[in-house]
Amino acid sequence: MNPRLTDIDPAEALRYLGCTDAPPEALRRDLDRCRARLLDCARPRLVWRSFPRLPDGRLEGTDWTPAGADIAAHLRGCPHVVVLAATLGAETETLIRRAQRRDMAQALLLDACAAAAMEHVCDNFCADLAAASAPARLTARYSPGYGDFPLSEQRHIFALLDVTRRIGVSLTEGGLMLPQKSVTALIGLGAPEGARTATSCDTCPARAHCMFRKEGRSCGTP
Amino acid sequence: MELPELTLLDGAMGTMLLAAGLPAGAAPELWCLSAPETVTAVHRAYAEAGSRVLYTNTFGANRVKLAGSGHSVAEVVTAAVRCARAAAGPDTLVALDIGPIGQLLEPLGTLPFEDAIDIFRETVEAGEQAGADLVVFETLSDLAEARAGVLAAKEHSRLPVWVTMTFEATGRSFLGVTPASMALSLCGLGVEALGFNCSLGPAELLPLVEELRAWSGDTPLILKPNAGLPDPRSGAYAMTPADFAAAMAPAAALGVRCFGGCCGTRPDFIAALGETLRPLPRKPVQRRYGVCCATNAVDSSAVRVVGERINPTGKKRLQQALREGDLDYVVRLALEQQDAGAEILDVNVGLPGTDEPKLLAAVVRALQENVDLPLQLDSSDPAALEAGLRAYQGKAIVNSVNGTAESLRDILPLCKRYGAAVVGLCLDERGLPETWEQRVEIARRIRDAAMDAGIPQEDLLIDCLTLTVSAQQEQARETLRALRFVTEELGLASTLGVSNVAFGMPRRETLTAAFLTEALHAGLRFPIVNPGTALVMDAIAAHRVLSGQDAGGEAYLRRFAARTPAPAPEQKHPTEMTVQEAILRGLKAETAALTAAALETMQPLELIETLLIPALDAVGAQYEAGTLYLPQLIKAAAAAGEGFALVRAKIAAQGDSDAPSRGKILLATVKGDVHDIGKNIVRAVLENYGYTVLDLGRDVPPERIVDCAVRQSVPLVGLSALMTTTVPAMAETIAALRQSGHDCRILVGGAVLTEDYARQIGADAYAKDAKGAADYAREVFGT
Repeated sequence: MNPRLTDIDPAEALRYLGCTDAPPEALRRDLDRCRARLLDCARPRLVWRSFPRLPDGRLEGTDWTPAGADIAAHLRGCPHVVVLAATLGAETETLIRRAQRRDMAQALLLDACAAAAMEHVCDNFCADLAAASAPARLTARYSPGYGDFPLSEQRHIFALLDVTRRIGVSLTEGGLMLPQKSVTALIGLGAPEGARTATSCDTCPARAHCMFRKEGRSCGTP
Repeated sequence: MELPELTLLDGAMGTMLLAAGLPAGAAPELWCLSAPETVTAVHRAYAEAGSRVLYTNTFGANRVKLAGSGHSVAEVVTAAVRCARAAAGPDTLVALDIGPIGQLLEPLGTLPFEDAIDIFRETVEAGEQAGADLVVFETLSDLAEARAGVLAAKEHSRLPVWVTMTFEATGRSFLGVTPASMALSLCGLGVEALGFNCSLGPAELLPLVEELRAWSGDTPLILKPNAGLPDPRSGAYAMTPADFAAAMAPAAALGVRCFGGCCGTRPDFIAALGETLRPLPRKPVQRRYGVCCATNAVDSSAVRVVGERINPTGKKRLQQALREGDLDYVVRLALEQQDAGAEILDVNVGLPGTDEPKLLAAVVRALQENVDLPLQLDSSDPAALEAGLRAYQGKAIVNSVNGTAESLRDILPLCKRYGAAVVGLCLDERGLPETWEQRVEIARRIRDAAMDAGIPQEDLLIDCLTLTVSAQQEQARETLRALRFVTEELGLASTLGVSNVAFGMPRRETLTAAFLTEALHAGLRFPIVNPGTALVMDAIAAHRVLSGQDAGGEAYLRRFAARTPAPAPEQKHPTEMTVQEAILRGLKAETAALTAAALETMQPLELIETLLIPALDAVGAQYEAGTLYLPQLIKAAAAAGEGFALVRAKIAAQGDSDAPSRGKILLATVKGDVHDIGKNIVRAVLENYGYTVLDLGRDVPPERIVDCAVRQSVPLVGLSALMTTTVPAMAETIAALRQSGHDCRILVGGAVLTEDYARQIGADAYAKDAKGAADYAREVFGT
């Protein structure tokens, strides 16, 4: 399963900018330019492995049991867990950092496009994984930092997948990833009926401080 | 240490330890202490398979990765060297293996370069103490980290140093390093061998080996690839030992002398290499020379434009920027030159009353973060040159050494130590030479001294000195004559500060371009010019066609195709627009033109009050109403910023003391947090609204924030944190500010914060976005 980045959804990029209506024409033009630049620059990379999940939640062949009640509930009943790490690469990080020197508005648009692109890569991975695993069902992606699944669990994922060596992502002491446009996640494979197979406001990590929810709106996630 | 023609290294350590029962994800280095016999058994298996260099099990044995393990670096390294030595025969070397630190260095990460050197120093010293025979840095993808390792090893041990880096199939490392940049920089630092490990399988790495060899000359090469590509589902590697060895065999013809394996390889792979590898006649290679930054090497066999504009001589604005530490302005000069076609940038920051070593290092760091061009460090102060060379992640040019005994003594060893190319200026104790023969004589002396200092003559660029024709007309001919001789008879490359020739003459660019054309014809390789002068760059474009460097004249055609006039912009003519309209639409050039026109009739402060501020208020109102979005707000602020800049310049020209600032604000992203785009947006908006912003960056410890707030008497401090996990650091910073007794307001922002949360951690206010921050600043400063 190779990383696939074929397009950046303009509506999704605009959502990151807080814009859910039709954007003004000038903004739309700027955004299209940034989408093209980002698609040209980004070099998505990913690494993943599938582990059998033991009844006590531990991943077989490792000494890791993902910490917290929320991830345990999320993966409950799944015989396998796919551990994923993905990134848009240092090229994108450099592009956005440098754009901040030249034109901050453009940097902001590039940053929003990058966030949308990262989602797109992860969605494509999950679609490919679902196709390869059918008829087994997949849970939604669940990342360190969601619910009570702490950011400190990142280091286990990094060690298991050899993330730094394989795709060039580093972890800061506080568990943040560099390049910033990177994602780690667990996906339950063989999810039983009733498991969470899609993201919703109820499971969203941004629930408490979501700018849309504060205004009584939604980002568009069902 | 003379390496045999073919030397067998070992294979994977991790793979073997996993097979011996080490759980996935555990730290393998600690087994040197807890299960030394298991580690030694792996080493022994490799020695028996034919390995003549055993890598110690110390890939992550540095103080960052061992933190919390309960063991010191020295403990782990000593045990690891002992494990390897126990398996090594008398003719087997023990290599202290060192992997990446695990923290990204600046500018992508937050680890300072000198800290990285110190982390490596600790491991290297422990290794030498424990009796390792050499140091090998491996699996690096950052050239800065590789340089840090080599400097640490060279400065703190006598051990030979090997470096292998990890590349992708694109021909670059994860951080964009090319084989050319790797070879130029590391061979310059004097590594004993270099090459690739991990990355890919052998077949995929062979083209990169060829590239590496072209730029690294006779330095022995190392190849230690993976056993092909891993199966993603299980992480297992599929290549057989025989296939692996067969794929490695051709590398012997490409200058590879050390062969081993990385992930997925075992002792049977090494044994297969021993059976399969044979010395092969070396494939001929076109040797290449040049200079580089981490991501871009510039071949010195062709004409290369050196941009001259980062030099404060006679430039008031740059002098001011350097005095104030305004590196943004210096970066802007660099970007303009890069856009105009510069391929190397000359960097001169010599200004009385400044700390030149500190300033040059800071400018080097800012430039390499923002441009992909090699730098030429221009100073006569050896301390400044050393500070700049140390901070420079690549192979720089030093400008310059001259023929005086003192200069040769002080400058050449620096160039040798840091692996820099150097400009040799044709003057000496007797002053400026008057004839071409005297210039050539000095050039010869510099060449001999450089070669004595161990600098290859390909790294020497002779400057035959340009004098101004308005003062010494006959000297132009002498310069050109010397240049021709240096090129044709001495076979050396050359550089020349071309623009000097026309000093004091009308239509300078005409004279400069003509002299440049003659100098290029005489063999000039590195013209130092202002790439913003079209005539000069036209002359170079033409020369490249006439000399054949621009094959098919394609670059020339592109250059002039782009000159056809652009279609007229659809915007209204500025005179039909108001300042407010221009700002609302985010039009920088129009705002500047309209502000300049308004300044003809209005007082500067009046203009701020009646035009700029009301325009920004209108922008703010539309933003609040949701008819204008954040990118447009930023653009509008940037346009207003052009207006403020003109007003400030006018006030400065009127001779009033300081240009007006609406107030001084400190901004920082708190310790532990690296997400700073939000803070940077706030900074851009506040600056464009006319405030002075002191930006301390990201991952900033509380004490630095307090120190700066107190020392600079800052009335408003803005803090950002993006993650729930970094908000405690924000609370800590606020507590420290309060405790210092410094009287200031504290504004906070970041995705996870709310009004309530902000109050709870003791902030005075919360801003949900850049507009909110500007509103609060206005409240604090009353303007």
